Amino acid sequence: MPEVKLIPEKWVDRYGDYLFNFTISRVNDPIMAQDLVSETFLAGLKSAHRFKGNSTERTWLISILKRKIIDYYRKINSKKGKAEIRMGYLSNSEQEGDWMEEKAQDLRNPNVEDTIEQQELGKALEECIACLPERYATIFVQKTVDNLETETICKEHDITASNLWVIIHRARVQLMECMNNKWHKDN
Amino acid sequence: MGRFFINCDEASILSTRKQYGDLNSKETFRHKLHQRHCIRCKSFHKKNEFFQRKLKRLKWVAMSDSQKNIIKKRIAEFLKK
Repeated sequence: MPEVKLIPEKWVDRYGDYLFNFTISRVNDPIMAQDLVSETFLAGLKSAHRFKGNSTERTWLISILKRKIIDYYRKINSKKGKAEIRMGYLSNSEQEGDWMEEKAQDLRNPNVEDTIEQQELGKALEECIACLPERYATIFVQKTVDNLETETICKEHDITASNLWVIIHRARVQLMECMNNKWHKDN
Repeated sequence: MGRFFINCDEASILSTRKQYGDLNSKETFRHKLHQRHCIRCKSFHKKNEFFQRKLKRLKWVAMSDSQKNIIKKRIAEFLKK
């Protein structure tokens, strides 16, 4: 396997949106997601000397980001007082249990079901994109998520338009297969 | 006549390009013509369209340019050190 070299100057353009999507589906807060992505890049720079080149840049950055997200939840959970407030709300109120209705989504509501399905689909797709070869994933995301012009992507990756479409086609076929497998496994 | 008929490889690429609205009228015609006599490509095209509909319904979130610039600045500052 050829060694992979880090190109930090291109990280934001290449992986920014992918990491941002990955984060926002897990923390549900755009500002925090931006911070986590930013911290991930900086942590990547700090530990660049430890990058052995065995994995791709994206896989390596995702592994850093996952740790950042875990740390974020650890911090939240370590903040004391939240549980007590909820318990107080329960015991002092005559309308005991109402907070649950406020917090919990009504699963019979079609919009909620739809949202949950979208979230699950989104996560499954992210996992499938992560399984694609890096070049395929980057080009697929740039064309499908970022809606970049064909010419722009071709210039960046130094490929012809027909190459680009072959890559996108192969990426989509692999994604469809992967999603199909995931869906059958889960259901 | 030969230029109107395309093989399955070309048809599948056209099917993908169609999802991004990248086909001109000639290519659309060739693609439709191919599908009329190729069940496999017709079936693939249906799956491709279904997949595209799912993708469109997903809420993709992209960072704004200003958000990206902030991060780029932080990276550039770090690299300067």
